[in-house]
Amino acid sequence: MKIRNKYTAIIGSSLLLAFSSCDSFLDVNENPNNPEDAPISGLMTNSTFETALNVQRAGSATSNFVQYLASPNPSGGSDVMDRLDYSTTWFNFYNVMTDVNEIIRKSEESGANHYLGAGQVLMALNLGMTVDLFGDVPFSQSFNFETVTPSYDDDQILYDQIISLLDQGITNLQSESSISIGGDDFIFQGDITAWIKFANTLKARFLIHTKSTSGYSAAAVLQAVDGGFTSNADDAVVEFFEQRFNPWAQVAINNENLLLGGWISEQFIQALDGTTYPVVDPRLPLMVGTTDDGEFIGTVNGEGRGDAPEQGARSTLVPGQFYTSEQSPVLIATYAELKFIEAEAALETNPARAYAAYLAGIGAHMDMLEVDEAAKNAYLAHPTVSMGAENLTLADIMKEKWVALFLHPETWNDARRFDYGYKDMTLPVNLNPDLNNQFIRRLAYPDSEISRNGNNVPEVTLLDRIWWNQ
Amino acid sequence: MRKSYKFALSLLVTLLTCSQLYAQITVTGKVTSQEDGLPLPGVSILLEGSSVGTVTDINGMYSISVPNSESTLVFSFIGFESKSIVVGNTTTHNVTMGQSLSQLDEVIVTAFGISQEKKSLGYAAQSIDAEAITKSRQPNLVNSLQGQVAGVQVTNSGGAPGQSARIIIRGINSLDPSADNQPLFVVDGVPVDNSTVESSGTPRGMSNRIADINPNDIESMSILKGAAATALYGVRAANGAVIITTKKGKDGQIRVDFNSSLGFDKLVKKPRLQDQYGQGFSGVRDDSSFWPAWGANIAEENDPNYVYQDNWTRAFDTGMQVDNSLSVSGGNERATFYGSLGRLDQSGIIPFSDWQRTTAKLSGTITTSEKFNFSGSMNYSNSGGNRVPHDRFLERMMYWAETQDVRDYINPDGTMRSVGGNTNPIYDARFSTYEDDVNRIIGNLNFNYSPTKWLTFSYRVGLDNYTDSRTEITPGPMGIDGEQALSATGFIEETRIISRDLTSNFFITLKKQWNENWNTSLRVGNDIFQRQFDRVSLSGSNFVIPGFYNISNTTQVFASQGKSIRRLVGFYGDLMVDYKNFLFLNVTGRNDLSSTLPQGNNSFFYPSVNLSYAFSEQLSLPAWITFGKFRASVAQVGKDTNPHVLGATFVSPSVFPLNGQVGFSRNSVFGDPALRPELTTSYEFGTQLAFFNNRANLDVTYYKSNSKDQIIPVPISDATGFSSYITNAGEIENRGWEIVVGGTPIQQGDFRWDVTANLTTNRNEIKEIREGIDEIVVGSQFGYVGSTVTMILKEGQAYGNIYGSSYVRPGADPESDFLDRDLPILIGANGFPVRTGTQLVLGNAVPKLFGGIRNDFSYKGFELSFLVDFRSGVEQYSQFDNFLSAFGKQEASLARNDFRVFEGVLADGSQNTKEVWLGQGVGPDGVSYGAGYWRNYYRTTSENFVLDASFIKLRNITLAYSLQPEVIEKTPFRTARISVAANNIILYTPWDGFDPESFSAGAGGNAVGFTGLGFPGVQSVFFTLNLGL
Repeated sequence: MKIRNKYTAIIGSSLLLAFSSCDSFLDVNENPNNPEDAPISGLMTNSTFETALNVQRAGSATSNFVQYLASPNPSGGSDVMDRLDYSTTWFNFYNVMTDVNEIIRKSEESGANHYLGAGQVLMALNLGMTVDLFGDVPFSQSFNFETVTPSYDDDQILYDQIISLLDQGITNLQSESSISIGGDDFIFQGDITAWIKFANTLKARFLIHTKSTSGYSAAAVLQAVDGGFTSNADDAVVEFFEQRFNPWAQVAINNENLLLGGWISEQFIQALDGTTYPVVDPRLPLMVGTTDDGEFIGTVNGEGRGDAPEQGARSTLVPGQFYTSEQSPVLIATYAELKFIEAEAALETNPARAYAAYLAGIGAHMDMLEVDEAAKNAYLAHPTVSMGAENLTLADIMKEKWVALFLHPETWNDARRFDYGYKDMTLPVNLNPDLNNQFIRRLAYPDSEISRNGNNVPEVTLLDRIWWNQ
Repeated sequence: MRKSYKFALSLLVTLLTCSQLYAQITVTGKVTSQEDGLPLPGVSILLEGSSVGTVTDINGMYSISVPNSESTLVFSFIGFESKSIVVGNTTTHNVTMGQSLSQLDEVIVTAFGISQEKKSLGYAAQSIDAEAITKSRQPNLVNSLQGQVAGVQVTNSGGAPGQSARIIIRGINSLDPSADNQPLFVVDGVPVDNSTVESSGTPRGMSNRIADINPNDIESMSILKGAAATALYGVRAANGAVIITTKKGKDGQIRVDFNSSLGFDKLVKKPRLQDQYGQGFSGVRDDSSFWPAWGANIAEENDPNYVYQDNWTRAFDTGMQVDNSLSVSGGNERATFYGSLGRLDQSGIIPFSDWQRTTAKLSGTITTSEKFNFSGSMNYSNSGGNRVPHDRFLERMMYWAETQDVRDYINPDGTMRSVGGNTNPIYDARFSTYEDDVNRIIGNLNFNYSPTKWLTFSYRVGLDNYTDSRTEITPGPMGIDGEQALSATGFIEETRIISRDLTSNFFITLKKQWNENWNTSLRVGNDIFQRQFDRVSLSGSNFVIPGFYNISNTTQVFASQGKSIRRLVGFYGDLMVDYKNFLFLNVTGRNDLSSTLPQGNNSFFYPSVNLSYAFSEQLSLPAWITFGKFRASVAQVGKDTNPHVLGATFVSPSVFPLNGQVGFSRNSVFGDPALRPELTTSYEFGTQLAFFNNRANLDVTYYKSNSKDQIIPVPISDATGFSSYITNAGEIENRGWEIVVGGTPIQQGDFRWDVTANLTTNRNEIKEIREGIDEIVVGSQFGYVGSTVTMILKEGQAYGNIYGSSYVRPGADPESDFLDRDLPILIGANGFPVRTGTQLVLGNAVPKLFGGIRNDFSYKGFELSFLVDFRSGVEQYSQFDNFLSAFGKQEASLARNDFRVFEGVLADGSQNTKEVWLGQGVGPDGVSYGAGYWRNYYRTTSENFVLDASFIKLRNITLAYSLQPEVIEKTPFRTARISVAANNIILYTPWDGFDPESFSAGAGGNAVGFTGLGFPGVQSVFFTLNLGL
């Protein structure tokens, strides 16, 4: 009977249709699955979450360059600095910037100055990371679908915009807002003071990159440092979730399940186990795993594991440590990093401030890892660590910053500025022959851009330096 | 009295419509079919030597005025032998017409279920009958077309019970990687759904929805190939159409038919494997190692606990299928009916895979008066089964140690017996269940009303409604110490799909025989279609109580929903002009309106013209030429897009909610708000010839089609704020030849031999993508360490090119995208081939040439038939091979302790002479070889795994015996037949692996070149009994 009713209905309606206009009958194309608009808070949730992941993704792309990690396979592409395809990384950066652009647009319309300010900080961070990896990138013609082939902006000009975005962000965060940020912000849960400190910390980070350029001012860096983080409690992090594990934890879990990854470079192991430096770093066992025999054995970048088996014979990331617990935070910017920036900026003008900041940086990182107090003090007391303000060198700062920023993409910026001058850091085995025995200086533009926007993509080699690294 | 009144009325009509007023005698009568005694409406009756004529009405009745008793009337009707009668002294002539046996008068069911004489068609069409459909006992109708029709490529996606099969007619017509390039399926004039909804997680080998139809209910299938044949179905038939006609009841006594068949499946083919090395690594035995086959030489170990288990044979079961169907049909001149029940039970070769189908069908026709008749049918089906995770099954077979019994998979406490930390594939297949349960109703009603002889109003309404309830369960830990669980948390997902198609079609047919030379028929109509689709999924993970599978027993619950609605309205006209029964002109036009396109651009018109010239009917030709015709057609067909793609939207990524927050992100797909319909233009020329009184025949067609203004998701710079822009861009061309050769080489006494062969070539070219856009990626499949392959579309290339890594070849053209395998390989200083990650075309996955040959022999009650089909010019990526070489399981890896000098040239151009060891660790020459050649070099290079996937198959061989009339008379039966058949026997293939026909994507996907770890193909044997009462 039901079916018959249906038929009757269809016959009736189709007869009716024959005489009525088709327009309303056909007007059923509004998307029932995806809304045409989204709340600003939802955009903030996704943007803060994805920004943290972008930091991790950039870290994952560069950790082999700075020899934190090494591939278990010989001639691993990242190990030997091959021209690799970073299409997914690129997509993720622009995906977040597109959403942040929406936050900025919406908050400008509604006077939500805190959202506006936070949006500008997030834009500065994501754009800054993109520029640091690739150099010239599209921005001025982006996000609003003006063209399907956006042109590329000069990286130096983009840097001015990054600093300007941070300054505007700070101003907006300091003003009244029509809507308050809350739990939708995965980084600070709406703590505006923390956002302002974060903006200053990022400003210090991006300004220190320009140290070798003519516009550099150490005073400007130190001024930003003064407005930045004041303790580990201020750190910009996203704590991960029961439903969604920390991505480094996932790498460690996958490695346990024989989807290999997260193998530690011999460079890193030897820098901390007393081989390269005369002091054994108490942080090592808190950061990486051991072999089945309880030893720390790294893998030589580019060499692969040889005939070592997949498990138990090399140090790898292992689940459950500070960086690799399921709900570990992903670190976006830390107090420890800021202290090393301060040390570097003050090194020439104010060695005492530099030295104090250097020690505070080490201490902050050790506190983060919950290093045993006695071990921490013993390490800090070692003469090669506490060499005194007058003996502190950039190399000392860079070495400790390298340890404290384990797996963080900022280290590659440091490494390039520092000409990969870490003690005993050698070129990987089987280095990409195109590099003429030099270290990589930038990422190749992604294949997706070359195939979709080829006429605008600059011609570069992996040795072409970006503007602040000339 | 009433009858004579009607006759008088017809007479009056005749008098009014015919201008010849000199008529003196009125002849009346009824025309019926010799086969079933049913009245034949539409038979044309012509007074010989004049232009006076009429046609029979819906009840087969006619009335015509003739000048005198010497007049001769000629009765002719499509598909029947013409008949002449002299009027003589009686004024009532009841005529029975016999169906024409000649293939030349073959009738093809075309658009809207209208039977048309093949002679009159200006385009190629081919049909297959009930016997050819059911002979191969394929549970899936699509499979029964395999190898039988020129231009039609049918591919089994795998050997799982109920698994989908893909059908492509005359090549792939869309650049959209997610487009459905398959034809429209039409059952009794009403389009039905043939989509394949794959599982969202690991592949499960789901069914294409045509599998819901019981093949035993099918009378015939015709394949309409080009746009010409399908202009009347509109946008949905842009890829061709398969017109299915179901069995109907016939006038006469009630018939009961019973079919029962029992079948067995087994693995048709497996890769060549080594059986000499067991668990361990570096040649060292280790009974708890992860490594399944890099260990010690089994013979040298000489230990009963370390023997080759032959798991690749023993892991698979013998599949079984039992198919029973019963039908009852009958009727009288007023009404007919057909009812059937069917039940199929199938179990697969991977343990715990099964599928069932129950069908019930009832159809009937009623003629209430000479002016009105109606018919209807209702088909109910219930199908579904347990779909094992076949991809994971084969992956876990890879990891499973060759010296450990894979069948020993469960401990007494119910936990898994695992080796080396590996999941047992059979344990996983048993407990990681995925069950679907589809309830479907397909119904249609047809009304025909003829107020006068030349005018008929027809209305057809159809419903195709199904619900698909799916439950996926992966158990979590049982809480027993030391167990290895399939999942750390356990997982359950409930999916509910509701899909409803409604079709309404109203048309008016006007027929007029102007005189003995000119005959016309015009059809105009309106067609409305709506599809509503709604899918809701609810999943939970982390079971609180182990083994209690309910979403409320989980700690994390996610929900998702996807809905869509699509509406189409079409207006069409179809004019057929027939001159002297040898020249046929057919002009069609259709205007579609689609809800999926922007208003303003959503109305589009497309025409077609085709011409058929049966020259043998006009010219006097040598006697050995029985029949000859030329045909030509030009046609266009428009195409809309998927629902709900226009403009920009926001999405909530599936990871949310997190901490009670739901995030949103702008959708990376942007649909052009000014989207236009795409347009396919196709040309077709052909000839049909028959010789020696139809003992031999030939049909040749050339086709070419260009699809322009394609609606495709163009990949655009992510920096625009979107990654994909759905717009009009690009053009794709398909062209080729279709040849059908057939005949009856021997017909002597009771012996008869019939043969038909078909051959198809297809050349495809991507003519254009869009300015500034170089490529579109269709899909990719994983390979170890840089051997992942990708199917990419590029301008100037053919659809289906597979890109991947290869060995460096000095002298290769650096500009070329194509690997030249003939050039020598570069050998490195270490003595091993040098690989490059630069992506080159390693092969193409679309066959360039395919076809089949069918032979039928009959002698008295015996019939023997076999169908051989083949495909060539096709390469596929063998993920199996890639995995096998990673784990030391393929036969070639027996060379693991050999020394070898790789053939190739050194960087300086000289021939390589360096000898290297292929093993793992430090070789006898003191050099360390790491993980060895197979893992370090061989498995890393895609070109080793993109291989020729041609085959020649014995698709079906059947031997049958029917009881002869003299015997059957002594039984209560009308017919009795027993047969034995075998399917899918590979006669030849260079492919080393499972059946090369299986592929990963399922019927709905276009990434056909990836065989993945799909459900292996099977070969089957069937025993069938058919009884008729």
